Amino acid sequence: MTKSFVRRRIRLTRSLALRIVFGLIGAGAGLLLVYLAGLLGVYDLGYALSLLPPRGRALTTGLLTTLEFMALVMPLGFGLGFVFGWARTSRAWPARAVATTYVEFFRGMPPVVLVAFAFLITIVVFRGNDRIDIFALATGAGVMALAAHSGAYQAEIIRAGILSVPTGQIEAAEAIGMSKGTILARITLPQMFRISLPALGNEFASLIKDTSLLSTIGALELTFQGKNLSAVLAVGGGNLDLVIIIWVEIALLYFVITIVVSRALQAIEKRYRVPGLEAAQL
Amino acid sequence: MITVRDLHKWFGDLHVLKGVSLDVKKGEALVIIGPSGSGKSTLLRCINLLIQPDEGDVIIDGVKVNEPKIRPEWVRQQVGMVFQSFNLFTHLTALQNVMIGLTKVKRLPKGEAERIARFELERVGLADKADAYPAQLSGGQQQRVAIARALALNPKAVLFDEPTSALDPEYIREVLDVMTKLAEEGMTMVVVTHEMGFAHNVADRVLFMADGVVVEEGAPEEIFERPKKDRTKAFVGKILG
Repeated sequence: MTKSFVRRRIRLTRSLALRIVFGLIGAGAGLLLVYLAGLLGVYDLGYALSLLPPRGRALTTGLLTTLEFMALVMPLGFGLGFVFGWARTSRAWPARAVATTYVEFFRGMPPVVLVAFAFLITIVVFRGNDRIDIFALATGAGVMALAAHSGAYQAEIIRAGILSVPTGQIEAAEAIGMSKGTILARITLPQMFRISLPALGNEFASLIKDTSLLSTIGALELTFQGKNLSAVLAVGGGNLDLVIIIWVEIALLYFVITIVVSRALQAIEKRYRVPGLEAAQL
Repeated sequence: MITVRDLHKWFGDLHVLKGVSLDVKKGEALVIIGPSGSGKSTLLRCINLLIQPDEGDVIIDGVKVNEPKIRPEWVRQQVGMVFQSFNLFTHLTALQNVMIGLTKVKRLPKGEAERIARFELERVGLADKADAYPAQLSGGQQQRVAIARALALNPKAVLFDEPTSALDPEYIREVLDVMTKLAEEGMTMVVVTHEMGFAHNVADRVLFMADGVVVEEGAPEEIFERPKKDRTKAFVGKILG
């Protein structure tokens, strides 16, 4: 049993690595196309290359910040989605009421507005307090707002996943003497997880790009760097071609991150695929 | 083995069981027949406490089980149940379906659980389907796995809730054969079914229920050939044509 589990783990890791490599190759091909366009004279390649170091530094900072936000927003959003999605299916009405309020509130507003609110409210509340880094705190609040927004969508995905487990199976599990906790862990969650994965992958893919909304509160992530570089170039009378190149590079970076994450989720989906539980059938 | 005394169950204003009593001796096969809505399924679910009865006693092996101090989970391990719609766990193979009660409820080590599960699958004639998922099995095979899942916990009795009603006609035989074999091996069984052939040939006793009460009970020949009550006569007449 353990041996086959380890083997499966290795297989999963290998196919995951393979998918990530494919993603990177795709991005490399994209960059090559940009470079080729330069060679063909679509833009001034020499000029673009000469400004590579400063822009490389800015975009690297942006990329790392975006990855950091993702690393926060994805698990936080999933955690919120899981807890509230589960609460939405609860038999206890107060749990349902709280979860429904959460979902309707955070789903009902544009994420950019939520981010702005979270940021501004934090600034106002901690105004004048010089022992803490208010800007960092407010940025954190913005990140939380984004996670809460995505969590509301994920809660609905989780809820649908839980409800898709036939009640007959719950009854059958009770009939062999399983406790409520065991039923949740061994019957409901494994099926919910398989059914919800494709929709969750979709939500993650959109969430990655939603981190760009944090540029509106001055977080130094990819999109902010793009805006910043564009502005600097515009003020300095720079070449518009280069502005386009920068945005192409940013687009490609988002593309690679999204591809890697969604491929990874597809690998997990494939690894746990079971006949009769394919999302397409439901 | 199973004694039910003056059992009542209400769903809101609906009085589903109106004082049902029955007795199943060890090794006996009791078949319950009756029109739909007569409370047969509710009665079965009250015996293993999937539904909590409102009044009356359920006594299993001398122990009154519908008591607050008795854990329903414990009762359900003593009495297996087979459902109309099989209710196998979709994400588990046939073997895992049979094993899960052993590993997660009885907490047996994996090796021993697997040995028992394979034995039970063999018993229902599905040793070769151990690694198949429910979606890859026919209805008849799924129901046999469900029977193996119930038997694996070594229950004192097994309840069958219309086990062949959801099956295509060609699969009914194989499920009834497994059940017949079980009855011959001396398993205590309570079977709700519309299969009059099975009731006639396998049951030690037949109990006719209507509108939440036991109308009549007796040996299969008595109920089917010489029913005393008019309601029984009418029902049996319709069923046997």
